[in-house]
Amino acid sequence: MTIIPFPARSPRRYGDLVVTQPMALEDEADDVRSLAERLVAGEEAALEAVYDRWSPLVHTYALRALADPHDAEDVTQQVFVAAWRSRHTLTPSPSALPAWLIGIARHKVADVRAARARDADRLAAVVSLPGAHELHQSADEDVAEQLVVRQAVDEMPDPRRTILFLAFWEEHSHAEIAERVGLPLGTVKSHLRRGLITLHRQLEGVRHESR
Amino acid sequence: MSHAEPDQLAGLALDPDDASEAVREHAQTCPECAALVAAFTGTRRRAGADALVAPPAHVRDRVLADVRAPAPPTAPPPVVVRERRGVPAWLAAVAAALALVAGIGLGRIGTGETPAPEASDPTPVETDDGGEVVAATALTALDSDAERGEASVTDRDDVITLRVRARDLGDEDGFHEVWLINVDGKRMVGVGILADGDDGEFKVPRHLIDDGYRIVDISVEPDDGDPTHSGVSLARGELA
Repeated sequence: MTIIPFPARSPRRYGDLVVTQPMALEDEADDVRSLAERLVAGEEAALEAVYDRWSPLVHTYALRALADPHDAEDVTQQVFVAAWRSRHTLTPSPSALPAWLIGIARHKVADVRAARARDADRLAAVVSLPGAHELHQSADEDVAEQLVVRQAVDEMPDPRRTILFLAFWEEHSHAEIAERVGLPLGTVKSHLRRGLITLHRQLEGVRHESR
Repeated sequence: MSHAEPDQLAGLALDPDDASEAVREHAQTCPECAALVAAFTGTRRRAGADALVAPPAHVRDRVLADVRAPAPPTAPPPVVVRERRGVPAWLAAVAAALALVAGIGLGRIGTGETPAPEASDPTPVETDDGGEVVAATALTALDSDAERGEASVTDRDDVITLRVRARDLGDEDGFHEVWLINVDGKRMVGVGILADGDDGEFKVPRHLIDDGYRIVDISVEPDDGDPTHSGVSLARGELA
């Protein structure tokens, strides 16, 4: 049924109404919560910002889960279109957006897998394989969390980003890192501790929100 | 000892040899702090993913194209007409009631050549200036079936005129404004004010009617200078 929205009287702040767009663009682009709020409000520019920030996360997740570039592109497209259409269900919070997008992506990935299983005789194989589904699921979650961590590190300001990268990805010792980035050992360790706490919180938020 | 600071526990997770004796001991006996250390260690283990891979640019284009296309019927259409805040509950009911009206007449009106539909009852207003009635509707209250007059559209030499003959609009303070709401539920235009009693004639561009602006709405507007619809509709009907 078509719902006819009904323009109602708004507060008489013509300036606001007329310049909604430019004002919105000035919003702190990094504030995830305000971005979520703008998305819920139906602002298309917010969707573009959300897409630009999280499409690599969603796409990489789909790529890992499906191992097919074409399917991964389709899933990415579906996730953001679905996100837009169901934006009313999003409760804005700092980690809501990535959690929510990953949650939608999980469903789309499952759809593709189900379709693949239907397509071929693989259905029988999948069904007869005990625990295949759970196996997928826990592997997917691992992948999702790794990608969330990766993005969180990517978004950190330097030198923290570089320090975490050297420590966690390249496995350098703290002393080596201190030498490479030219910072005192204590500073390097402090960046690592704080960075780890940030990652932990981000991960917890995503886990909590996607439940 | 009270709980250790997250910072200390993060340090412990990163390098046990680095942590102070007190923190190490505490984390061994305190389940909460031990859990946090384990969580930090788990987070640390989540590092190592390859760089994220952005999707090709055409995916973005497709998303935006999909989003800009009309939403499927299941999704509520976005509110695009004007920003509104704090929509009262009764207004939602009004919208739902209107949706019923809108659902009935979709696509029944043709272009200007359509003869007056005999189905529309009561009969359209007179066409004393010779214009051909191409669409008409009875106007009714929104919260009941109470009759509120008629509206019709005539076409004379390609000039489209909306005629409104309303009645029983009540004596609420303010003036009565006539609107055309699109059946797509997303757009509306004000066509004018009933300045002289409850009747009025408004010339409208033909394409408006053709584009689906077919729901005639009469609102009561307080004299507050706000050009938007007050949200108080007295009568409505869909031209068919």
